[in-house]
Amino acid sequence: MSFEPIIGRYLTVTVQGRQQRIYVETAGQGTAVLCLHTAGADTRQWRHILNDACLTAGHQFFAFDMPWHGKSLPPEGFQTEEYLLTTEAYMETVLAVSRALGLDRPILAGCSMGGRIALQLASLHGHAFGGFIAIEASDFQPAWYDIDWFHRPDAHGGEMGAALVSANISPHAPDAERWNTLWMFMQSGPGVFRGDLSFYTRDDSLIVRLGRIDTAKTPVHLLVGAYDLTCTPEDAKRTAAAIPGATCTVMDELGHFPMSEHPAGFRPFFADALARMKVPADV
Amino acid sequence: MRATLARMQHRLHETPHLLRLGRLFSETVLLEVDGAEFYLTFRDGRLEGIVEGPSRKTPWRFAFRTDAEALAQFWQPIPKPGFHDIFGLVKIGRGRIDGDILALVKNLRFFKEFMALARNATRTEELA
Repeated sequence: MSFEPIIGRYLTVTVQGRQQRIYVETAGQGTAVLCLHTAGADTRQWRHILNDACLTAGHQFFAFDMPWHGKSLPPEGFQTEEYLLTTEAYMETVLAVSRALGLDRPILAGCSMGGRIALQLASLHGHAFGGFIAIEASDFQPAWYDIDWFHRPDAHGGEMGAALVSANISPHAPDAERWNTLWMFMQSGPGVFRGDLSFYTRDDSLIVRLGRIDTAKTPVHLLVGAYDLTCTPEDAKRTAAAIPGATCTVMDELGHFPMSEHPAGFRPFFADALARMKVPADV
Repeated sequence: MRATLARMQHRLHETPHLLRLGRLFSETVLLEVDGAEFYLTFRDGRLEGIVEGPSRKTPWRFAFRTDAEALAQFWQPIPKPGFHDIFGLVKIGRGRIDGDILALVKNLRFFKEFMALARNATRTEELA
């Protein structure tokens, strides 16, 4: 028997006055990197990075399931609630988990809505992090679809969500990882993808905050896949251009879920992004 | 186009997982290519009819409109960005979806995989 190096554990944090039991996976040693999954999915999207012996030789990665996602339960009383993620709750959750883990200015790496909140945190709580890797992240994306499609009694929201987001996966992605990526969406709890999309497609507060980000203290690097229809290279470039000092790399053969859909293709871009997170010693 | 659709029909009926996914799909879909209309009537996931238009009398649940060159790109083994998905074609202005979009979304995996059934064709003339 040979276990993977990933270790999974639970911790409880308080977010907006409510207790949230959070599932966290970790691997490696060295510079702390906190990883955020996309909407409608969970920390399994990061498993290839956490299992990468070269990257974990110099970095300790932490990836956690947001409340309502993966192995993190919804809060007590969820059964009568409408789940709608907000910028404030999302930021507070990330900060609470980072504190609970005892991390000292970790690098924050988030994808899609995780990338969006990484940029929000860069603008409002930059001092709490050592750098930001914003993957498939943009200032704002209004929905061209009706988010209510993904939570209704006469259809399976997870299957519809997976079929929708499959448009964002590159044809270069290995078939097995394409379907592993989609499986997470199929497993998403009822209304969770919709609630995430509410945050992602309705809150445009980041636009005016981008200019506040101080990349001299906290580097910001954006990664975007050419096959991403949701956050296109043009969206990511526009966002990077609004952040003085931010950099952006287009990944020609990847889509919206690069670390999950095409791990081998993503790895060199992510290694390069980590290398860019060095902060000058005198800052 | 007619021959390609017939080939897609054959492939659909030889693809068990698609027939299983589409077992509750019984609708007529309008596929419009360069203005030419093709009414595709599905019954329980099988493509029972391919009727060429134009027709103003044939009801359809939703329509996917595109052009032949875009479809040829879509059917490449590794399509370029934007050409890799029917929603990508819409995003880049080479496709349009009309009608009961929710009916499409409820059957999205089935319809997308049906539309991709011509992708394995290796020679351009096979798509004629």
